[in-house]
Amino acid sequence: MKRLLSGILNGLGEIWGHKLRSLLTICCVMLGVASMVVTTGFMEGFFSGWERSLQEQGGVEKITGSPRALPERQAPLAPASRGFTLDDAEALRALVPTLDVISPEIDFPGARLSRGSRRHEVRIQGVTNSIFEINRYEIARGRMFSALDFADRANVIILGSEVVRECFAPGEDPLGRYLDVAGQPYLVIGVLQHYERLWGTYNTLQWKNKIAFVPITTMATKLRPTDRLNWLNMKARDLSLLRESVDAASNVLAQQHRGLIDFTVTTNEQQLASFSSTKAGFVIGGSAIAGVSLLVSGIGIMNLMLASINERVREIGIRKAVGATPFNIFSQFVAEAVTLSLIGGVAGVGVAVGAIKLLGTVLPPGSAPLLAPSAFVVGFAFSVTAGVLAGIYPAIQAAKLDPIEALRYE
Amino acid sequence: MSAPAPEVLRLERVGKRYPMGDTVVDALVDASFTLREGEFMAILGPSGSGKSTLMHILGFLDSPSTGQVFFDGCPVASLSERQRAHVRAEKIGFVFQAFNLLPRLTVRANVALPLSYHGSPPADAEARIDRALALVDMTHRAHHRPGELSGGQRQRVAIARALVNEPRILLADEPTGNLDTKTAAAILDLFKELNRLGRTIVVVTHSSEIAGHFRRQLHVRDGRVTEGGAA
Repeated sequence: MKRLLSGILNGLGEIWGHKLRSLLTICCVMLGVASMVVTTGFMEGFFSGWERSLQEQGGVEKITGSPRALPERQAPLAPASRGFTLDDAEALRALVPTLDVISPEIDFPGARLSRGSRRHEVRIQGVTNSIFEINRYEIARGRMFSALDFADRANVIILGSEVVRECFAPGEDPLGRYLDVAGQPYLVIGVLQHYERLWGTYNTLQWKNKIAFVPITTMATKLRPTDRLNWLNMKARDLSLLRESVDAASNVLAQQHRGLIDFTVTTNEQQLASFSSTKAGFVIGGSAIAGVSLLVSGIGIMNLMLASINERVREIGIRKAVGATPFNIFSQFVAEAVTLSLIGGVAGVGVAVGAIKLLGTVLPPGSAPLLAPSAFVVGFAFSVTAGVLAGIYPAIQAAKLDPIEALRYE
Repeated sequence: MSAPAPEVLRLERVGKRYPMGDTVVDALVDASFTLREGEFMAILGPSGSGKSTLMHILGFLDSPSTGQVFFDGCPVASLSERQRAHVRAEKIGFVFQAFNLLPRLTVRANVALPLSYHGSPPADAEARIDRALALVDMTHRAHHRPGELSGGQRQRVAIARALVNEPRILLADEPTGNLDTKTAAAILDLFKELNRLGRTIVVVTHSSEIAGHFRRQLHVRDGRVTEGGAA
């Protein structure tokens, strides 16, 4: 330990002795480490954004059931196709225990809301309370639907933040007030949280704000008299049960529809797969950049060490004459290289933190790099590795010098 | 006459050959002599005589090609480079013509250098450094760098460095070659004083005038070593 410390102190002395040359080498390492940490930060920022957007859409456990036209071989049976119904939701609930959420949804796009002189067109969905779980909506104020709301087909509505903004004056409390939907008054019982994630100036989550919910029974009897569902979304209890759940749900639905395949059951797996493959591509690209930086810093350090050994042949001779073993000389030079690269590494991490902070204030939140703790560890390890690897060859050269020849050297 | 002092080094028919181009050069041929504790000896010879080769072997910077070397009675002819480094660190003190101090280190750090290569650094390291500096009268310059010292002062620091590990032999290679006559005389006086205090000292020189200051002289010519008369 004491030897290591004295080796590092000695290294610092040497570095101070060649200020300009050492500074240039330190800059090499610093830029290498900084570029690596910032690149990693960009990747972290990008992927955490993507991952969250996948979560907002229901996560990877979500299974989407949607109606579609019959396949060609069943085309003559089209009149018998009746699409998704609430009975299908009941059947799934009873027969597929690996599903923990089942969300039947009826869409009413372009529904007209009015309140006094204010008018607004919005997508209204008839839903059960499952919608909040499956599509990750949170009620900011007010309440969800009650059993009574469903049983009574009550005229109650939950509004997204954008709808509130359009239909109410700023500061006005929408809870307990009425809105007209298709000519009938609806009581506002809840307001959703405001969702925002900016990509540039564009809010990628605005679709979650431009929405209103009514009980599915109200929708099916009053707003859109129909028993056909637009969506029948499900969620597997666990990711490992996803495949099994998709198969079971498909079978139950086929049986319910008397063999007519007028539906599809899909998952977010495709998105997940493209997510993973893109991420893998970035990681490989990032590693290549890191590798090149490592090489450049290593070459810089090695060049400096070789030049410094040529200048210090006599010093090596003196040290050997007074009793330094080849290993003493070897470790002295490796310690110098490591000291040099450590300074560069610390400086590089500092520069990276500054750059990430700066970019964070300039770039929109969606595309700004994140400070990844792992990047610092990697940056640090990286600079030490570069120092050791680049120091070994020059250090061996120094250790091999014959003391007699070295002392004769002018 | 009392019993002879214990032997430090004994060479028996030691030879050293170097390949040089197509031929082989005999730098040293059948050198045999014994160095005893407390001796004050000069190795005298013109340049190219083989006296440097002899000094390198005595100082464990080099191994002989033939023959036997005994250190404190133990045969040590063929040591590895690492083993020789340990002997140099603990048993030998070197003084060079060009002083060979490390310019970036202070006087004190230069003197401390051999101790950092000791297998187990002595507990009284600081005291030893102080003692060595006091012995050559350089305590007041301990925190200067070699560049700020005169030639004679630098050689005194080099001698302190050679003494700090309390070596069995102090080996000096033309120690006065870079000094003016007056400073050279002072350095020779310092050697005499150190010898009086019991140090075994061997000086290599080409000058018979300097060799004349030593009790025993070895002449080296064309690789052959002969005993010269005591002065």
